[in-house]
Amino acid sequence: MEIKSFKQIKFTELLVYIVLFIYLIFTLFPLLMSFLNSVKTEGEIMNSIISLPSKLQFKNYITAFQKINFLRSLWNTLVVTSIGVSGIVLFGSMAGYKLSRNSGKLSSLIFGLFVMSMLIPFHSIMITLTSISKNLRIQGSTVGLGLIYIGLGVPMAIFLYHGFTKSIPREIEEAAIIDGCGELQLFFKVIFPLLRPISATVMILNTLWIWNDFLLPLLMLVDSDHYTLLLSTNMLFGRYNNDWSSILAALILAMLPVVIIYLLLQKNIVKGVADGAIKG
Amino acid sequence: MKLSKSKKKKLIMLAFVMPALIFYTAFVLLPASGGFWYSLTNWNGLNPTYKMVGLSNYVEALTDDMYFINSLLFTLKFVFFMVLLQNTIALLLAVLVESRQKSKGLLRTIFFMPNMISMIIGGFIWMFIFTEVLPFIAANTIFKFLDQSWIGNPNFSFYAILIVSLWGGVGYIMLIYIAALQGVPNNLKEAARIDGANDFQIFRHITLPMILPAITVGIFVTLNSSFKVFDAVYALTGGGPGRSTQVIALNIFEEAFSMNNRYGYASAKAMILFTIVALITVVQLSLMKKREVEL
Repeated sequence: MEIKSFKQIKFTELLVYIVLFIYLIFTLFPLLMSFLNSVKTEGEIMNSIISLPSKLQFKNYITAFQKINFLRSLWNTLVVTSIGVSGIVLFGSMAGYKLSRNSGKLSSLIFGLFVMSMLIPFHSIMITLTSISKNLRIQGSTVGLGLIYIGLGVPMAIFLYHGFTKSIPREIEEAAIIDGCGELQLFFKVIFPLLRPISATVMILNTLWIWNDFLLPLLMLVDSDHYTLLLSTNMLFGRYNNDWSSILAALILAMLPVVIIYLLLQKNIVKGVADGAIKG
Repeated sequence: MKLSKSKKKKLIMLAFVMPALIFYTAFVLLPASGGFWYSLTNWNGLNPTYKMVGLSNYVEALTDDMYFINSLLFTLKFVFFMVLLQNTIALLLAVLVESRQKSKGLLRTIFFMPNMISMIIGGFIWMFIFTEVLPFIAANTIFKFLDQSWIGNPNFSFYAILIVSLWGGVGYIMLIYIAALQGVPNNLKEAARIDGANDFQIFRHITLPMILPAITVGIFVTLNSSFKVFDAVYALTGGGPGRSTQVIALNIFEEAFSMNNRYGYASAKAMILFTIVALITVVQLSLMKKREVEL
């Protein structure tokens, strides 16, 4: 009897390992394959796609580096992302905090207006958004693109800040006001530091979103000098282009920044994403 | 003149809200209402003059436009499979990962990693796998069934899109479920075990009811994201071969920007997508709420 249940435990354990192992392979196989082949020559890719490279050669990376104009594209992506994220954090925290502290009709109306946007898919507004940005003359510029992200990202941030503000005791503000603190000073010196945990979540979520967003830059950026990493990589990809060696190197280069950041800040990112999902 | 206290409070609030509201109005509210307005016109995006055409854009999209109707059906099929598979796999992985002592953190990190990578990059990487690696494996090993026209045959490219989307999306939902599992109090499970319940019974009668809110979130997130799927399809098949794997978002995109610039007509399609997403979200949330109360 005991031996049997022991065997049973072994069996389920084995099953667990098999399932986890299969999913592990599924997750890593494409990444591994693209990396291994990115250091092979085109001929070696054709002949032995699944074997280890006979010798490491990084020529593909030099080609790819130039083809996607890596530094330029990286810089553009950084500009767009930092403008978007800082605007979202700043304006989102200001609005979320004040809307949470005011309980009147007007504030719940405005809050509702923001929350409503979470039902609107981006694809439903992209056509008119494109023509509006043409009229505002911000189409084609990375700064303009960053500004658009503020408008798109601020509702979710307001929602998160609104919830978090409730956990900050009002006594802190009352004490500061008695000390003669003005509204702006109160917010930036006292409240904003207290919002730091939720600010971290907002920053992580929006950085990931903007960094990896493809469709909006595709609609907004016209000139290849302004292309983000994703747009430059996409450019490489004529539908009938099969020069995999340099394409794979470009793909690895394009995902390198996120993967490095992820591996470094893994704990914070996982926590931020989980928090955002549960509260959103 | 002195403002009353409540009026002053209101003004200060408005000042704090104003920057966010301006950006939000310019880039979300105006485009949304403008989109609705244009959906009732025959505007072509360039011509400054256009005519009101009432609901005829909507009628055309839903009765006459086979490509659009097909893209609706294709998206529905995709959404169905995604909601089912993504949540099942994510829940299974979450339970298994949580049951590990040492490898828990490492497995979580790896399984979530694809979520960090843009689905444009992910789609291109998988294109390499589907068009080069799998045929090679099929030709050189016993896994002959892998030699399919994954991208060129619409029956298989549906699965290709599904596989790539699951690859990118499961990790995120898994995180939600892991967080929920960690919230289930251990003493409840232990009490049940002392009463003689086995692992499966504990999961079915204690864990599952307690993580039901998380499952609501998981389904909600999947529904939302898969109705709007664009990147994976764009990178992998571009909607092809022909227009057989065109999803709604891609159909709207092509209608407005690359085929015929019919902004008004494309706006009507965009409004149809909006209605579907909003309706499903509302219905699904209220349904799940009811079930949670019953349990």
